[in-house]
Amino acid sequence: MRSLRRFFTRLLNLVTGQLRDARLTEEIEGHIALQTEENLRAGLSPAEARRQAILKFGGVEGVKEVYRGERGLPFIETFLQDVRYAMRMLRKNPGFTAIAVFTLALGIGASTAIFSVVDAVLLSALPYAKPEKLVRVWEKSPDGRLMNLADPNLDDFVTQNDTFTDLAGYEYWLSSVAGGSEPVRVNVASVSRGFFKALGVEPFRGRAFAGDELQVYGAPAAVVSHSYWQRSLGGAADLSKIHLKMEGAVYSVVGVMPEGFDYPPDVAVWIPRELYPELPGRTAHNWRGLGRVRDGVTIAQARANLSAIARRIKEEYGKEVDLNDAAVVPLADATVGDVRAALLTLLGAVGLLLVVACANVAGLLVARTSARRKELAVRVALGAGRGRLIQQFLAESFFLSVAGGALGVVIAIVAVKALPAILPTNLPRQEGMAVNAPVLLFAFAAIVAVAVSLGLFAAWRAITGDLQEALTAGSRTHTSPGTSQRLRGFLVIGEIAATLVILVGAGLLGRSFLQLISTNPGFSGHNLMTMEFSLPTPQWQQGMEDPEVARQIHLVEDILTRLRGIPGAETVGVAGALPVAAGDSLADGNFLILNGAKAPADFNEFSRIAQNPAQVGRAYYCVASEGYFRTTGIPLIRGRIFGNQDDWNSLNVAVISESLARQRWPNQDVIGQVIEFGNMDGNLKPVTVVRIVGDVRANGLDLPPSPIIYVDYRQRGMKANSSPTIVMRSAAPEGQIVAAARGIFHDLAPDVPVKFSTFRDEMNGWLASRRFLLLVVGLFAAAALTLAAIGIYGVVAFSVARRTQEIGVRMALGAQRSDVLRLVVGEGARLALFGVAIGIAVSFAITRLISSLLFGVSATDPLTLASVAALLSLAALAASYVPARRAMRVDPIVALRYE
Amino acid sequence: MKQKTDVLQGTLALMVLKTLDVLGAQHGYGIARRIEQISGDLLAVNQGTLYPVLLKLEQEGAIASDWGASENNRRARFYRLTKEGRKQLQVETQDWEQTAAIIGRFFEVKAEDLP
Repeated sequence: MRSLRRFFTRLLNLVTGQLRDARLTEEIEGHIALQTEENLRAGLSPAEARRQAILKFGGVEGVKEVYRGERGLPFIETFLQDVRYAMRMLRKNPGFTAIAVFTLALGIGASTAIFSVVDAVLLSALPYAKPEKLVRVWEKSPDGRLMNLADPNLDDFVTQNDTFTDLAGYEYWLSSVAGGSEPVRVNVASVSRGFFKALGVEPFRGRAFAGDELQVYGAPAAVVSHSYWQRSLGGAADLSKIHLKMEGAVYSVVGVMPEGFDYPPDVAVWIPRELYPELPGRTAHNWRGLGRVRDGVTIAQARANLSAIARRIKEEYGKEVDLNDAAVVPLADATVGDVRAALLTLLGAVGLLLVVACANVAGLLVARTSARRKELAVRVALGAGRGRLIQQFLAESFFLSVAGGALGVVIAIVAVKALPAILPTNLPRQEGMAVNAPVLLFAFAAIVAVAVSLGLFAAWRAITGDLQEALTAGSRTHTSPGTSQRLRGFLVIGEIAATLVILVGAGLLGRSFLQLISTNPGFSGHNLMTMEFSLPTPQWQQGMEDPEVARQIHLVEDILTRLRGIPGAETVGVAGALPVAAGDSLADGNFLILNGAKAPADFNEFSRIAQNPAQVGRAYYCVASEGYFRTTGIPLIRGRIFGNQDDWNSLNVAVISESLARQRWPNQDVIGQVIEFGNMDGNLKPVTVVRIVGDVRANGLDLPPSPIIYVDYRQRGMKANSSPTIVMRSAAPEGQIVAAARGIFHDLAPDVPVKFSTFRDEMNGWLASRRFLLLVVGLFAAAALTLAAIGIYGVVAFSVARRTQEIGVRMALGAQRSDVLRLVVGEGARLALFGVAIGIAVSFAITRLISSLLFGVSATDPLTLASVAALLSLAALAASYVPARRAMRVDPIVALRYE
Repeated sequence: MKQKTDVLQGTLALMVLKTLDVLGAQHGYGIARRIEQISGDLLAVNQGTLYPVLLKLEQEGAIASDWGASENNRRARFYRLTKEGRKQLQVETQDWEQTAAIIGRFFEVKAEDLP
């Protein structure tokens, strides 16, 4: 307590600069005067009296020293003194200071910017109460695949568990919503009871679903997002008059979610799942699961609980189900998913960049330290202790790091402002990105770490070895610069190794990207316009009447006919989803091979037949028009295509992809096979295979071709695909086509919002995250390469300067310029060789970590390693060539007189 | 010639406190003289060492100081005990007496006294 008070008083003295020197001086004078008077009274002569008084008092300066130490906090005072001295030293070497500060600013700025992304996406807590209790839930198949939940299974999970406070199912899709200021295509989510409660968020206006709204065919009700409410409903205070037309029904709006609530991401409207009857199938995996685990229950316990329920379901229903386990994953992990690997790669790359930057600055410090050995020797001779010297170097590096760090934070702030423009839009949670307290704390930690490591390093360099020798030795001595030169060499080798690792990472990502974009998707995307739309009727609502389906078919037919008439339109077609870019919206499912057997009369019979593996296959379901294949250029391999004779009443036909034919019907003729795939669209009419077409990589270029069964939209309707897309091949200007097409949609279907785009743009969107990763890692690699080149240059140039005399002697003795070139460049090459060797070894060890981000190249791709090593060696040679040229121009006479 | 004893800083602080307790407000010289008198010149303190101790005590809040006029009408800094200082003096006096008593007993004990 007392010492604390004393500390604060001293700190206060230090801050206020209240230096009590004057008071002490006056007190001492008074003291001595009193003692002198007393001595006079004792009979001493005036001079002797004063002398004795002073003697008795003791050393005045010594007392003042102790007094000052007592008054303030000496270590801070000397530190400030050191900082002032360091600033003077750094000001005297503006070149060194600028390079060091900018290098550190680059490293710290880049790390901080990347950390802000990592912090927002990976580290910061989800914006819900007790977010660690929130989990995603899946069914798990015997081969470990995660599947969404089927209605009855979800119900069993919800009613039988004792580890969740709330467990809900939800699903969302793009849909046309009318009733606001204009019809828009937005995400609509169907959520089951407990969804909002699990998240712990309530509508900020109005209420959640209740009563009749939670009954089958009850009162349709909707809750809307804050931004939709603002944008399309004008922020109306009175919700009672607002009705939304969507999914073929009219919904009254009962609530508005608070601003910032965004789950599932980008959903504008939530409706109750309970409004519509459940699907009885236990393999119709339609619902994503979300739950909140009870307090005091661990995630593992919740998982065990649901696993047990899943096993019970499996025991009870046997072959009717395809789950045998359940998966429970924290929501934070599930949300981030495969982004984690990419972000950690970025963090690793930027960390290496920071290391390279520090090594560079350390190299500069070593050079400066060896130049300052005489100064240090003088200070030691004058009584400076080692601790004092270390403290001084710490002060210098502290100042460098703080200046670099401050500039770095400015760079980070600018970068974070600019990042959203290049960040892939599908990166979750990026809106939370900011230079906030945790990010600043990270920057601060980075600055301190850099300052301490650089300072200790420089101090260690400064005080090892015999400083006295430096004092006595002439400037011609080579001993101490020799060791520091070796040390700089080690630093540069480390730098080159780290740079090589970043370069290898960038190279592997680059090759993956090239492989990816040169992968044949199975069709031609050249000059392909796309128009994604959704129909105003629900695609999942059961029991839709035929006239409704027929109306839709006619509408699409009319639209296609009119589009075909646009001048410049070559071919036009429609399909259930745009492959590659939107392939995820295609659903897959089991189909039955009927082989002449009668088609099942209902879904119970379907399930029974499906228990015989010989009769079951699995494929994606996609509606298409005949023109779709011609427009995209998917090759027609055998058989006939959909024709005019295929209409609502005729035999339903199917076109299947080549890989499906090969997998499911090896060595058989698949044409003429009869298939039952009605579980996908609710229509139990079987389809007959009439044609095999080429494979497309519908789910993405990085995945193998998907097995697909195409059916004719005129026979099956459009309702089973959620993002039907019209494709048009045309060489005419995009704007012209879009204007014409917009007019046609406006005429025929004013309620249907359409997204006009081109296949090229959609592909760019699909590639965005890979492109971003490549771009940023590439930038880091380029920065590291530059720093490494500067590092090599520094070492070699210094060595040339030091060896000018030696080179002069060699030349005087008959060495050719080429010999000198070899001598100097050889030094750089040796550093590069060691660095590259170490870097390759390290790469072998760590590039495995990014293999999940690679496509078509192995993590130890020899071509990448070789070309990166070559590039780095070339840079090293170029960096040492500059000083080598200087060395070659050395005039032997001048060199011999050097110094 | 008698050996003069070194004064530990802690003991000096205690002496200062006790002096101020007995004499009331005093300037540095007065305190130094008093300590010399009482210790009978056994304790030879460089008078100057007193001042850092005074500053320390002041910063701890045990004493306070003000300017006043000394015997020869010069300005002098007068130190006085604060309430907190008085408490501190009490505690330290007790501690000291206890320590002294224990040490004293150790010296009294002879080998034959031990069981």
